[in-house]
Amino acid sequence: MSFHIESHPIDYESLRESLTAPDCGGFVFFEGRVRNHHEGRKVVGLHYEAYLELARKEGRRLVEEISRKFGVRAAAIHAVGDLKPGDLAVWVGAAAAHREEAFAACRELIDAIKLQVPIWKRETYTDGHGEWIEGCRCASPH
Amino acid sequence: MKSPLFGLLLAGGRSTRMGRNKASMVIGADGLNQGQRAVQGLLPFCQKVFLSLREGQAAPEGCEHLEIVRDNPSISGPLAGILAAFEREPYAAWLVMACDLPFVTPEVLRKLIHARREGADFIAYASATDGLPEPLCAIYEPGSRATLRRHAERNHLCPRHIMIEEHTTLLELPPSCRRALENMNTPEDIAAVTGEKQIHIGWFGALAEERGRREETAVTSAPTAGAFLEEFASHQSLNGLRGHVRIAVNDEFAQPDHPLRSGDKVVFLKPFSGG
Repeated sequence: MSFHIESHPIDYESLRESLTAPDCGGFVFFEGRVRNHHEGRKVVGLHYEAYLELARKEGRRLVEEISRKFGVRAAAIHAVGDLKPGDLAVWVGAAAAHREEAFAACRELIDAIKLQVPIWKRETYTDGHGEWIEGCRCASPH
Repeated sequence: MKSPLFGLLLAGGRSTRMGRNKASMVIGADGLNQGQRAVQGLLPFCQKVFLSLREGQAAPEGCEHLEIVRDNPSISGPLAGILAAFEREPYAAWLVMACDLPFVTPEVLRKLIHARREGADFIAYASATDGLPEPLCAIYEPGSRATLRRHAERNHLCPRHIMIEEHTTLLELPPSCRRALENMNTPEDIAAVTGEKQIHIGWFGALAEERGRREETAVTSAPTAGAFLEEFASHQSLNGLRGHVRIAVNDEFAQPDHPLRSGDKVVFLKPFSGG
């Protein structure tokens, strides 16, 4: 059970391995990939930046909290650096005895990471312009 | 007969080590910034006080009412301001003072003025540390003008070196004011003297881009993280600090009432957009 931040491209295979266990019949993972559009503008690239010291601490805390809450094995990894549409930005996995907790934990973990881990993205558009994206700070995920 | 004495507050420096305009910095509990304090110090001794600024530079807060003398742009450093002052008032003697000498007392200025006499073109204190002339709290009599111009023409722009080379009346600092000419170049200097807190700020994302840097050191007397954010947002024009901002202190999320200590690391956090 762990949380990682690495330069793009991230390697989630070993995380995935670490979650599988004979007592876990359900395994759910989520891949967040770079979208090629945002609010009607064509996105050609994304830059992720993290406040590493705090982001690692907070990410670890969330993984532990949610693992405990749902009784699952969970892990996550987020990329930083320059990404292109289609690239993997974040990977979240949860394994449990049954699928219900695995789905719920995976969903809650990705929502919590987006809301609470100090990582920011800057989008670059077709015209070469770029903009830092200000995340939503409402509690309900979307 | 002595020439009239005018004051010249030198505020045209770029304050690169301080990271913000030194003349606008408030030091001490009276709320005066360095520029205002220097002007208050000069006024009782001078017929008039002028403000020396670079080309295009705005007057520091509280000094807007002063008459401005613009630097001669072909010269760099304090000599540009002093020569420009002589161009404005060639028959005046100039009591020149840098804007970052918060410990200059009336006693210090009085002693300089009492040393004025025929034939003494430069009157300055000897540094308490190395005995060399201190040119930025000194009197330049009208007779020094031609000498200064001659040095400027040869590209000798350092007033201290000019004073060393020329005949300068050197005074000893009054015993109670040994530190009077210590200047404040860095936030650490100020924190050491005022007991204010020194805060290391880290910048990320949109804020780093707008601020144009990733880290800096600031000096504050704000008691809490929230008060520091408010103070910073009101003194610096950073659009990014206007919206919703969270605060981290020493790599932990902190509430606005989190007490600040000197040496703390503070990061202001815009809403996150990972995932």
